Amino acid sequence: MAKTEQDEERRTLSEEADSLWMITFAGSIWAVHFVVCYGATAAVCAKLGGDAAAIMTLRLALGGFTLLALAGIAFVGWRSWVQWDFLNDWNYEHALAGKEHRHEFLGHASFLLSIISFIGVIYVSLPVLVLETCQ
Amino acid sequence: MLAAPVDKEARDRGAEQLRETWKTPKGFRYCTAVNNSEIGKWYALSAFFFMMCAGVLGLLIRVQLAVPDNDFLSADRFNQFFTMHGSAMMFLFAVPMFEAISILLLPGFLGARDMPFPRLSAYGFWCFLIGGIFVMSSVLFGVAPNSGWFMYPPLATEAEGMGSDIWLLGLSFIEVASIAAAVELIVGVLKCRPPGMRINLMPLYAWYVLVVGGMILFAFPPLIAGDFLFELQRSFDWPFFDPERGGDPMLWQHLFWIFGHPEVYIIFLPSIAIAAMVVPTAAQRPIVGYSWIVLSAVGTGFLSFGLWVHHMFTTGLPSMSLGFFSAASEAVVIPTGIQLFAFVATLMVGRVKMSLPMLFISGALAIFTAGGLTGVMVALAPFDWQAHDTYFVVAHLHYTLFGGMVFPLMAGVYYFFPFITKKTLSKRAGRIVFWLLFVGFNVTFLPMHLTGLMGMPRRVYTYPSVMGWDLLNLISSVGAFIVAAGFVVFAIDLLRPRGRQPFAPRNPWNAGTLEWSHDVPEENWGVRSVPYITSRYPLWEQENLVERMDEGRFYLPDAPELKRETLVTTVLDAKPIQCLRVTGPTWITIVAAVFTGGAFIFPTFHWYPPAIFCGGVAIASVIYWLWTATSQIPEKGKDVRDAGLSLKLPVYASGPASVGWWGVWITMLGDATAFASLVFGFVFYWTAKPDFPPAGTEHAMLSYLALGVAALVASWASIYRARIVNHQGKVATTRTLLVAAPLLAIAGSGLFYLSVANADLDPTRHVYPAIVWAVMIWTIVHTGGGVIMQCYCLAGAVFGKVTPEHDADLWNVTLYWHFVCLTVVVAGLTIGLMPRVM
Ligand code: HEM
Ligand SMILES: [Cu+2]
Repeated sequence: MAKTEQDEERRTLSEEADSLWMITFAGSIWAVHFVVCYGATAAVCAKLGGDAAAIMTLRLALGGFTLLALAGIAFVGWRSWVQWDFLNDWNYEHALAGKEHRHEFLGHASFLLSIISFIGVIYVSLPVLVLETCQ
Repeated sequence: MLAAPVDKEARDRGAEQLRETWKTPKGFRYCTAVNNSEIGKWYALSAFFFMMCAGVLGLLIRVQLAVPDNDFLSADRFNQFFTMHGSAMMFLFAVPMFEAISILLLPGFLGARDMPFPRLSAYGFWCFLIGGIFVMSSVLFGVAPNSGWFMYPPLATEAEGMGSDIWLLGLSFIEVASIAAAVELIVGVLKCRPPGMRINLMPLYAWYVLVVGGMILFAFPPLIAGDFLFELQRSFDWPFFDPERGGDPMLWQHLFWIFGHPEVYIIFLPSIAIAAMVVPTAAQRPIVGYSWIVLSAVGTGFLSFGLWVHHMFTTGLPSMSLGFFSAASEAVVIPTGIQLFAFVATLMVGRVKMSLPMLFISGALAIFTAGGLTGVMVALAPFDWQAHDTYFVVAHLHYTLFGGMVFPLMAGVYYFFPFITKKTLSKRAGRIVFWLLFVGFNVTFLPMHLTGLMGMPRRVYTYPSVMGWDLLNLISSVGAFIVAAGFVVFAIDLLRPRGRQPFAPRNPWNAGTLEWSHDVPEENWGVRSVPYITSRYPLWEQENLVERMDEGRFYLPDAPELKRETLVTTVLDAKPIQCLRVTGPTWITIVAAVFTGGAFIFPTFHWYPPAIFCGGVAIASVIYWLWTATSQIPEKGKDVRDAGLSLKLPVYASGPASVGWWGVWITMLGDATAFASLVFGFVFYWTAKPDFPPAGTEHAMLSYLALGVAALVASWASIYRARIVNHQGKVATTRTLLVAAPLLAIAGSGLFYLSVANADLDPTRHVYPAIVWAVMIWTIVHTGGGVIMQCYCLAGAVFGKVTPEHDADLWNVTLYWHFVCLTVVVAGLTIGLMPRVM
């Protein structure tokens, strides 16, 4: 059987494996951060009630976790900015049929997604900053 | 080579072969067709029919509410009507309509001959039709569900009669069809693009299909898991939502809205996708900010999953939790806004022609913006506490639904009608339709903001005259009839016979995307030859493309074996890697759908034996269909196809190169999500309930459970090993492993079952034993399916359908078993270990 064609799929996928992962990373960090914030709050509020010390700890922990998540997203953003390589050719259309355009498009894509995820994480963590009780 | 003219005789011969291969069956065998153009048409018309039914219910609701103290409808009937109105609009119209239109259009956008699994779309369509008629007709018999389209327990669990069962089983059935179509669409976008159409050149519509398909895959399964628990409670009194016995109605709300909020975007994004096709054509230039739109679509897809609790602001959750959701709800406005700005920018830099589709798009923009503003208002928790469950919400919801879905959809119908039928809709009637809908819509729903703020609650069947709501309600009711008139005019124009009307020009809007290379008059082959694509708007940017396609100068210009074929390409760069034989007309999909329907419908009447029989026949017909039509080994010497332009492609493919493997992988993502929702339920009970697990209760028996898990993991290892040694050509070892695998799986499933059944765990007593049982059942249903598949591979190996070179079935079953193995281990930990350490 024509082996070359079969392997073509695996070859291109592994060639872009990094950038494909990168596209999902920023959004996934947002999702994990969201679930952790929600889950931890639900667990603390349900199991420990209005215990002020516990809530303070929770807020500190989530605050720290938020910084971590933001750093992670910023890192992804920076990596994809490099891959997009905007300042090199000022290209934000990627409308041509070359390998380079596909590669830069994937970088551009994950760059924009990290911006949205970054904002998303900030929005989600605002309540942790301002609210002091479960109720 | 491209420029070299093709010999006329060869050209005609190719065309004749293609015509013969792709012809639609005539007479009453017409309904065996599986081609995307037929299935898509039937699907869309059925969804439109259900929409009209739901619309009539909406009108009847408005008649009842037109004047105070009205007794046109009884309270119970009113409840049935608004429940069915909402449910039908969401499940029988909005989502199926997206899938119908995508099935209809996608191959056109991609220059493909058909979808990768035509019989799967046919099966999905028939399931949808059967389920839809079943659910919808319950209204006629006065036994429709009556607890609101979200079916909150305890109201819905306690509801008399079989309304709730009809909702749960009928709609689960339809959800299965929706997921099938989503899988088909995703694989279609990933693997059936024309050569050269790299991921950065895909039409935006394809991107939206990808995003929405993915959302369906992650949003519907939690609802299916919820339906599963809910129906167990209704049928067998397992107390998942009964607080008396440790259950919690809130779990349903969570599962429902984890589905329900993304659902809103699942409805909204495909319509934006239509706009993304109409706008560049109207502006006669490429869209501005392609990457931005793609990203906003993906971003909206992600963020919309974080919003479900904003439907639960008034349920007494901790306010810090509410805060997360309120904030996330505001955040999702950003990507939505980006998409709209990109459209506006494109229109501003282009030379806009105000065509009829554009008129509908502008109407959509106006209405949606208004709906978005009220949305921002209700997403603020304190405002929501005021407006919750008043007509303000009804107004908001219809503004977003009409602006975000109905109007863009209408634009799409006017825009794509010449592509679908080769004729045009009437321009004059179109303008009348637009104004009737636009004016009627605002007359109906604008006053509802006021009635809502004046305190009129949702879902009341009548109201006293003293409240000052009378006039506003009357205006709303009159408006509803104007909307209805608009739809009637539209339906007449849509359905009237067009025999004598002249054909539309081939590319009437002068658009740039590939679907407008279609043949007028109709040919069923999709494209005459599959082109090589190097730009986003090939019809504008690639010279002579259409002429060359017509002359058959590109790929697959003929069908020497009279077999239906399409090209399969790589996911990222669309390099051709296979010439896929797709399936043709058949009865088997209808048989499978009818019996699948039986398996879902009989349980609503608590008739279990016929349901089990139907389930069995359905499984048998699916096996027959797979055995006779998928992964067929080509004859010797015919396993490579000359696709033209000196491209030689294999006919058979397995593993990641094949479409089947991707189909399994994507289906299993959805399946794993449903299972994760069950596990979420388990954890949820633990956080929400102090007595979970109840003190002194028994747990699933560890010894049996551990052995069962071990046997099932061993079964997974055997099938995995079988795939590898089979590839090395060790036929005897392969068969031994293929015999061992199902035996191990059966033993393991038995032990798994006994670990729960032998313990003193009565599922009707408390929610803890009930959820342990549910997780166990879920798991062994999957291992049972796995056994069937392993036997299928064994049979394949024995009868020569699976050989060392042709091992697609083994790849797919192994992939399924990767997921089963994961499920088994997680299930073992959840019911065996977790309760002991909680
Ligand atoms: C002629 C057009 C329509 C009219 C007159 C109409 C009327 C109504 C009314 C009066 C209600 C409130 C029932 C109540 O709370 O008492 C309602 C609810 C609803 N409508 Fe519509 N509607 C129309 C179109 C649509 C469309 C196109 C969709 C979706 C695509 C839709 C989805 C819903 C949903 C989800 C509900 C909530 C049902 C519930 O509370 O359980 N409607 N509609
Ligand atoms: Cu929502």
